[in-house]
Amino acid sequence: MWVGTIINGVLLGGLYGLFGVGLALVFGVTRIINIMHGEFIALSAFIALGIAMLSPQMHPLLLIVPVVVISFGLGYALQAMFVNRAMRLPDPLAPLLLTFGLSVIVRNLMVELFGVNPRSIHQSDFAQLSINPFGIPIGVLPLATLALAALLFVALQFVLRRTEIGRIVRATADNSEVVRLMGVRPSSVYNIVMGLSFALAGIAGLMLALRTTFTPFSGVERLLISFEVVVLGGLGSFWGAMLGGIVLGVAQLVGLRLNPNSGFLYGNLVFFAFVMLRPNGLFGVRQ
Amino acid sequence: MKRLSSPIVTLVAFAAGSAIAPWFVGDRGVSLLSEGLLMLAMAQLWNLLAGYTGLVSMGLQCFVGLGGYTTIFASNYFSISPYWALSLAPIVCGLIGGVSAVFLFRLRDAYFSISTWVFSEVIAVVVLMTPGLGYVTGMTLETARGIDFETFLLVNFWITAAIAGASVLGIYLLMHSRLGLSMTSVRDDEIAATSIGVNVWCNRFIAYVAAAAGCGLAGGVSFMGALFITVTTAFDLNWVVAMIFIVIIGGIGTLEGPIIGTVIYYGIRELFTGVFALSGTWYLIALGTVAVITMLIAPAGIWPLIRDRFAIEWLSVKRKVPYLYACEADATRKSPIPHEQSYFV
Repeated sequence: MWVGTIINGVLLGGLYGLFGVGLALVFGVTRIINIMHGEFIALSAFIALGIAMLSPQMHPLLLIVPVVVISFGLGYALQAMFVNRAMRLPDPLAPLLLTFGLSVIVRNLMVELFGVNPRSIHQSDFAQLSINPFGIPIGVLPLATLALAALLFVALQFVLRRTEIGRIVRATADNSEVVRLMGVRPSSVYNIVMGLSFALAGIAGLMLALRTTFTPFSGVERLLISFEVVVLGGLGSFWGAMLGGIVLGVAQLVGLRLNPNSGFLYGNLVFFAFVMLRPNGLFGVRQ
Repeated sequence: MKRLSSPIVTLVAFAAGSAIAPWFVGDRGVSLLSEGLLMLAMAQLWNLLAGYTGLVSMGLQCFVGLGGYTTIFASNYFSISPYWALSLAPIVCGLIGGVSAVFLFRLRDAYFSISTWVFSEVIAVVVLMTPGLGYVTGMTLETARGIDFETFLLVNFWITAAIAGASVLGIYLLMHSRLGLSMTSVRDDEIAATSIGVNVWCNRFIAYVAAAAGCGLAGGVSFMGALFITVTTAFDLNWVVAMIFIVIIGGIGTLEGPIIGTVIYYGIRELFTGVFALSGTWYLIALGTVAVITMLIAPAGIWPLIRDRFAIEWLSVKRKVPYLYACEADATRKSPIPHEQSYFV
């Protein structure tokens, strides 16, 4: 049974990795601690629900396309309208409070619009499917989540390393003053990055919504996990985020087997053990 | 001595005001004032960490909760007056803060912020699982049974006012001391501070332990007044969220900022839930809107905006460069720096 617990922990880690990767991207490029990230996840779950209600025949994984498109637009617009304006000061606390303010507004508007009752997406029986390879039941949806996470990490890494836009994003992250001299407007880069981050959170929100019920508070409840994933992996490192997610997922499920009342205690303790050993994260750069 | 006059007037006015306030504002007013003054003290402590020493903590709710639990547990367990038990809260919180600082200070910036939050979550679960602390149902302050409630409220209010006054006065005096000067130097430039012989770690440690002890005391008073404590209310993230909101809205690194921030924070709440009689959701939306608007027009906070617009000083912790005084004394010599200019140190 322990093997099953660990395998399920790794699969849960895929979801946690998805929670963290958008956050890691924004932090890596703009140095903003984006408190809104949890609301991105919850809002995307509601967007997915809305689309699923409009077209009930659609396969749940196909929901990704409209969710990503809408989320990207929202992230882009939020950054362009608000966050860029708060980034003029060198003090990182102004954008932090701004994203905090936006998150409170978005969360409570969701409460007003959708109510606090748990919702779920009933799209075919996809969420209940499972395979049984070695006598260990493994859900198809968690497996798909991990596979999707791995695919997105590879794609993101490819875009950042090998493409023109990726080079521009990395250059902006390194020095936003110097890229201006090369004809790049940092705020436009930030818009795209925030859009991408929201799109990644959108996928995470969709996966969460397919897996379990959700409320407007589902995002903020998972904000700490998202942060832990990012810090554990090393701020701004995508592979680190993936690995951090898996470490936390395994720690949580093993901990819950040891003591069903411990909640996320073991995940938190493992987090502490790791950051004490490596204060800059698993893949972080030593300063 | 011109610099001292306005803080002294403020202190005397505050002491006199809080001494007589209970007879003018009614029970509802007293509890609102208590809540606001405690929050002001906690916000000043968060400001001490973030605004003066550069430690952005997201885990001070840990000490609020521990202070509350220490007070209620000690009072029940030893059957002593809650006021005596209260004096244990800052000691316990200071100790735990000190021990945790040894580990947490290995981490920098965002790593530190997130880890303080995680630390608080760990402590919350540990308290939840510890026998004798009431598990999920929480604890009631049993020693309060025979107490005269009127007097209890009144004394609580005065303790609260004393804590708030002490936090402002303490930080004012600290910032005009040698220690305060070295703390701000750590915030502004760690490497430069080290190079002139400031012990960075030690400065931060003192500030962190002080903030932990202070938040513990505030938490103790808050839950003593509530007569009841649960893990969810005690270790609520909203404690630190309110501190951050109040400090950044008002103006970080200033003493006046948190005062203005507290007035705005509770003003919005009373306006929306009291005067307009709207649900808590709309109050939170209004709060978020205020945060967003303030960060868009005045990212440094409201007090710096007012101060610079009207050129006023109230509880300023600015220092003037000694050289400028020399210039003022010797009027015949031409100063290379304009006289009015003063510097943040």
